[in-house]
Amino acid sequence: MSELAHTPAFPLRAESAADLAAAAPSHPELMRELGVRPRPGWTANLPAGLASFLTNGKGMAGVIILLVLVVMSAAAPLLSDYNPNRRAGKPHVMPSYEHVLGTTRLGKDVFTQLVYGGRVSLSVGIGAGAFAALIGLALGISAGYFGGRTDEIISFFVNVVLVLPGLPLIIVIATMVEAASPMVIGLVLALTGWGWAARTIRTQTLSLRTREFVLSAELLGEKKWRIILIEIFPNMLSFFMGGLVLGTIAAILAEAALEFIGLGDPNAVTWGTMLFWAQNNLALQSGAWWEIWPPCIAIMLTGAALVLVNFAVDEITNPQLKASRKIGRIKRFLTRRGRGADVF
Amino acid sequence: MSSDRVLLEVRNLTVDYVGDNSIARAVDGIDFDIREGEAFGLAGESGCGKSTVAFALARLTRLPGLVSGGEVKLDGEDVLKFDKARLKAYRWREVSFVFQSAMNALNPVIPISEQIIDVIETHEPNLGKEGARKRAVELFELIGIPPARLDEYSHQFSGGMRQRICIAIALALKPRLIIMDEPTTALDVVVQRDIIEQIVELKNRLGFSVLFITHDLGLMIEFCDRIGVMYSGELVEVAPSGSILTNPQHPYTKALGNSFPPLTGPRVRLEGISGTPPRLTDLPVGCRFAARCPYAMPVCREQAPALRFHPEHQSEAACHLLN
Amino acid sequence: MIFLARRIAFYFAAFFLAITFNFLIPRLMPGSPSDRIIASFQGRLNESQIAAIRKAYGFEGNLWEQYVTYVQSVFRLDFGISTVQFPEPTASLLFYGAQWTLVIVGLAIFFAFFIGSFMGIHAAWNRGGFFDSFFTPINVMMNAFTPAIVALVLFYAFSLQLKWFPLGRAHDPNLMPNWFDLKFVGSVLYHATLPVLSIFLVSFGGWHLGMRNVMINLLNEDFVVMARAKGLSENRIKYRYVARNAILPQITALALSIGFALGGALVTEQVFNYPGLGKFTFTAIGARDYSFIQGQLLLLTCSVLVANLLSDIANVILDPRLRGR
Repeated sequence: MSELAHTPAFPLRAESAADLAAAAPSHPELMRELGVRPRPGWTANLPAGLASFLTNGKGMAGVIILLVLVVMSAAAPLLSDYNPNRRAGKPHVMPSYEHVLGTTRLGKDVFTQLVYGGRVSLSVGIGAGAFAALIGLALGISAGYFGGRTDEIISFFVNVVLVLPGLPLIIVIATMVEAASPMVIGLVLALTGWGWAARTIRTQTLSLRTREFVLSAELLGEKKWRIILIEIFPNMLSFFMGGLVLGTIAAILAEAALEFIGLGDPNAVTWGTMLFWAQNNLALQSGAWWEIWPPCIAIMLTGAALVLVNFAVDEITNPQLKASRKIGRIKRFLTRRGRGADVF
Repeated sequence: MSSDRVLLEVRNLTVDYVGDNSIARAVDGIDFDIREGEAFGLAGESGCGKSTVAFALARLTRLPGLVSGGEVKLDGEDVLKFDKARLKAYRWREVSFVFQSAMNALNPVIPISEQIIDVIETHEPNLGKEGARKRAVELFELIGIPPARLDEYSHQFSGGMRQRICIAIALALKPRLIIMDEPTTALDVVVQRDIIEQIVELKNRLGFSVLFITHDLGLMIEFCDRIGVMYSGELVEVAPSGSILTNPQHPYTKALGNSFPPLTGPRVRLEGISGTPPRLTDLPVGCRFAARCPYAMPVCREQAPALRFHPEHQSEAACHLLN
Repeated sequence: MIFLARRIAFYFAAFFLAITFNFLIPRLMPGSPSDRIIASFQGRLNESQIAAIRKAYGFEGNLWEQYVTYVQSVFRLDFGISTVQFPEPTASLLFYGAQWTLVIVGLAIFFAFFIGSFMGIHAAWNRGGFFDSFFTPINVMMNAFTPAIVALVLFYAFSLQLKWFPLGRAHDPNLMPNWFDLKFVGSVLYHATLPVLSIFLVSFGGWHLGMRNVMINLLNEDFVVMARAKGLSENRIKYRYVARNAILPQITALALSIGFALGGALVTEQVFNYPGLGKFTFTAIGARDYSFIQGQLLLLTCSVLVANLLSDIANVILDPRLRGR
């Protein structure tokens, strides 16, 4: 033991500080150098998750694109005087003042079809995505919270839904229903698309189930549905959002694909049926690019916007992903001070 | 056991956690030395920054952590300024690490043998595969696990055995310092004792220094030569381990000592420390313990006390009461 | 072994569920296929003819008898007679289409998985850097461009405008199919290029993101920090300590993604006029050839289940924690 041999490590902090090159910057200096900005005042009263979503550049870009698409579809009658189902001019007219995006081979106005089609495509996509996420939420929480038999049975069905190929199954159902309306397609997509959401939410519930606040609520004799609703559900919101976004992407893409291969109702006006008619009328081969690219771009924009939103949701559910955003500045901070910049 | 030669000099070490909208100073300019052959302990409540110090010394600070200032000197060289090549030689040859949970520290899908041999091969390539394997066998014998089990995977061992394996890996290159971040917290009490005894025995035999971190003050006093007490990112007292319990200088050390049961003697009522440490994103100007300190004076809230050597007590402490 | 046995039992159960679905769907819907055919003759059929049609479509007897007959026929690989290419058996059409679908889906998944995963490893390792900040969002966005659109763009640009690639078929019709003839294989690859590229483009972003996110989470694990503390080389940590573990969930996801890729193939084949399962399914939908449509579901379900079983076996080989179980 070295009790007696103990001598001070250094005489005084003030003296040794003089020859220290590596003085740490103060907090305000550090925040400036690393580009850390305090939380904007207007988000102060919002829950942390929502605030970090609203201040996420990617997420908000996605939301704005989506909002523009939704508003344009909702305002369709204001944006166009034509009827999307009727002839509006000569067949295959080039984009012009009368027909902003030209006409189809049947002389229908492409822009009108696009905005009216958005109404159906977006509402079917978002509706199916939301329905699928709700099923996933209900089954995921039940399986994770109740455990035992309930969990086994639900997990079996989750695995079956995950393992069965979605599109081929939908094709079988859709063929049997003779020209499936967008509603039917949306319903089938929701009923086959809840697997991922259920699986994630089940895993999350399982890990939440043994946390103190749930256990203490149980010891206090809270009713089960109250625990689920008040203790567990709020923690699942971001995962539910994730499921909703991914479900919507899947539904919009699948709806377009199904209608494109001719399983939809050809008389409905949606982005998918627009593609179907364009392909059937050999729009590409006959040079009528304006008939085929507008619905393509609309679908791609929607998909891209939802992917951006999903990036933001991912960063909320998985803080590890967020930490990597500051990595560049931290590396520069270290390099400037002549220190090894191996940041992990 | 320990000499007076300083192995690692830590000066003004500052570590920040970079958040989205704020920065938390987890370690705020601390100074201490680790001497050759000594066991130095870092004590304090969870969240006081003791593990953060350990990781910073080993150059293992993870995102979003950032060592924003200070020096860690080894033989006059600043560890924080090591370039890639020097860092590679520093790692494991000079400082190795034992993690809190051996379960997480061992890769579950790589055989144990490979996880021992790869570090030997990296640092001592002239030993060759045979030589490295031979060393691994010796290490297993050293910690008392049959070398026949070398090629098994981590899930095939018990918790105590896994931690022993981690200690064996830490010894693979005979480093000068082993950092042990709560090496026994995840184990049950009986196994804990075994492991600590084994570490003491190995330390006596091989003569390495240890930076020891644990919640268990009793265990720490038994095992360490000197102990540093941390509070809210600062060192408030550094003293020989004997005087931490018998002659604490800082009110926080006193309070910490009172909240642990004595190892011998009659049962006494334990006193907790009321209140919580300040938020690291919003630290007070004066002494950080002032709000919870029963002896706080007006000066405590205005001026932060510096860590000072008090020869009469053989210890360093940062408290206005002692001035 | 118990692990694998349980998985196999599950796949059998899932397969039976798929068969049952297939059996029930036409029987639950208003107007069964046989009823529609009978109706299309507008009452010109006599009793015995109607009975024969019902029998041919498996609508004879009570529900349980029909089910037993159906299950038996499935295990005999008897999917009935195709109505589009009468009197070709549906099974032989299915297998003919499946071989070409296998070519494009197999190649596309192979490239997407490896290229995407490597990009993910690179993005995670240099996270926050240029490659990660720029290509991760772009690649994932491509994931959300439906295969229909990507296929149309490629077809328009490279087949119609530039004429670099053919307008259809799986190989040069002047060549005899022979998998040992390099000229034939070359022609197959040439015809498959654009379909493979379109499925590849809409799926590699998923592997990129998946690998990246799993890797980033693993980077924070103690065993990775310990590998760093040990001073191992960057490449050893990156591939042996991180990617090696990150690949395990990717393999499970690979099997599940096959269903998705097959769905993509359906649309792609239609655009490129490629004679795979999707193209036949498209024709079958137009002609309401129910036996083919049901057959494709069973065949695809089977292939997805087999793929899942293979991924389980791969996981058992690669993950020592599963071996003892």
